[in-house]
Amino acid sequence: MSTAPRRLFEEVSADHPPRVPLPPVGLARTEDTLRPVPPAAAPQPLPRRARSVEWLRDNGWGILMGAGSLLGVVLFWHVATTYRWDFYIRFTNIPTPLDVLDKVVQVNANGKFATNIGMSLRRIFIGFAVATVVGVAMGLAIGRYRVMRQLFFPALEALRPIPAIAWVPISIMLWPDNEVSIVFITFIGAFFPILLNTVSGVQSVDNVLLRAGQCLGAHEGRLMWHVVLPGAAPQIFTGLAVGMGVAWVSLIAAEMISGQFGIGYFTWEAYSLISYADIVLGMITIGLLGLVCSGLIRLAGRTLMPWLAYSAPNGAAR
Amino acid sequence: MSADREPQKGRVEIRDVSVRFGRNGHTTEAVSGVSLEVQPGDFVSVIGPSGCGKSTLLNIVAGFLKPSVGQALLDGRPIGAPGADRGVVFQQYSLFPWMTVRRNVEFGLKMQGLGQNARESAARTLLGMAGLLAFENHYPDQLSGGMKQRVGIVRALATSPQVLLMDEPFGALDSQTRTVMQEILTNMWQQLRLSVLFITHDIEEAIFLSEKVYVMTARPGRIKAEIPIPLPRPRTPEMMSSPTFHALVRQLKGLIREESLAAMGGELGSTGLQGLDHHFGRDGMRALT
Repeated sequence: MSTAPRRLFEEVSADHPPRVPLPPVGLARTEDTLRPVPPAAAPQPLPRRARSVEWLRDNGWGILMGAGSLLGVVLFWHVATTYRWDFYIRFTNIPTPLDVLDKVVQVNANGKFATNIGMSLRRIFIGFAVATVVGVAMGLAIGRYRVMRQLFFPALEALRPIPAIAWVPISIMLWPDNEVSIVFITFIGAFFPILLNTVSGVQSVDNVLLRAGQCLGAHEGRLMWHVVLPGAAPQIFTGLAVGMGVAWVSLIAAEMISGQFGIGYFTWEAYSLISYADIVLGMITIGLLGLVCSGLIRLAGRTLMPWLAYSAPNGAAR
Repeated sequence: MSADREPQKGRVEIRDVSVRFGRNGHTTEAVSGVSLEVQPGDFVSVIGPSGCGKSTLLNIVAGFLKPSVGQALLDGRPIGAPGADRGVVFQQYSLFPWMTVRRNVEFGLKMQGLGQNARESAARTLLGMAGLLAFENHYPDQLSGGMKQRVGIVRALATSPQVLLMDEPFGALDSQTRTVMQEILTNMWQQLRLSVLFITHDIEEAIFLSEKVYVMTARPGRIKAEIPIPLPRPRTPEMMSSPTFHALVRQLKGLIREESLAAMGGELGSTGLQGLDHHFGRDGMRALT
């Protein structure tokens, strides 16, 4: 995210009159002699080929490194399984990359594999959506009102250390059918990270912004919607990203234990049936689905919070 | 927003106000028995050493704080919760970072229930006056400190408040930007003639901007002096080198210096500085304080 420093003002010379005509006497005085650079004053567009060359020069090395590291993993996997390495860690039963590639074609011959993926995604979507609505709503209330904090927080803090997976037996007893209990486990996994990040996001909203909202005439409800919620939004999205990760962990565990259908169930069933290539295919599919889901959250975050592109940069070394 | 509107509303009165903070029986008095008045259309500054409770007074008028004793009135009515009839410009940047410059300015109008089109044209008019129209679609993080504060002033004015409350609004700016902002503000006030209560610790700033300056004592803050500023209008930067201006600066510095010393602790005043006086003479001392 390297944007070149852009000058906001430049001197007005005689042959460049100010773009925006200003009243002779007004709020602007000395800076009348300064004029803003139009925001669209981007560098001259280069011809298409030169542009792609430049893009490649800027990003080529990074892409190469990324491809290299991925290729390295696959290559190691290929060599280790082809030559059946056996030194304490045993690669004797592990399928080769090509076995797994074959499997991809095989499982897609009928719709069962796609159904498994669809079931898992549906569970994630429902569990995560409910966790987002409930987690953000409760987080806003708990973060802002002391009464709510005193009422709900002790109970929530008591439940929080229990991992979602530990809820599986109770969940099966609690809910009328298997499907709902898996969605519930997914919900539990996503709920706490979303809740806690929302609470802390609300509490980190600068008091001066709340005061500014109040003296511009915003009363409690609108203050909540227009100031507290957007102020907490960056941290809410952190909570959503973490919550999505935990939701997948919880979903896979629940599916392995109590599921019918689902990608976690598919992977565990493959192990029971000694179908080793299916196991690895399941793993890779779970990884890819998780990647897509967190990518969607990041995308949503960037789309909904465009102002963050201009705030202070983070501490990553270049 | 006509230039020659006769100001009728916007009288601020603070009557015998005391503020005590504290719990478990340990109370400290921040402000003690303060009375002051801002006439409609008047520009009044409150100046004092840090920690004297001058911002506390502003917070009372804004409605963020209730006085322990006494009352604050706006046009004869007791001041309650914060509201759009009192615009506030804060020392820290207080623009909503998630809204563009124009949305920030529109915010107060939106809370009043104004429609999208009316809001937009009102905001654009104000931003045009402030020379900020080219930045209407920028986010606050893309602006310099001086521009942010200008947007902050425009935003506070958008709801046409009767009083503008300014809490060291230029405190975070560098001295060049600060001077420019003081000029912008005095011109703007000249046009709008609304009541302003201005909190600062900068003596020159207070004199340059105000019709009247209240000097406060060290904590607990009391009103030590009420100094009228007889400089003509409109104010120009050249006035800052006039003899009247210098005399006022000297007078106020003398008043403030005693209080700053009191705020820093008695011993320093009585012994530590006499030695310095001896070495540098009185002018040297003035440069130090």
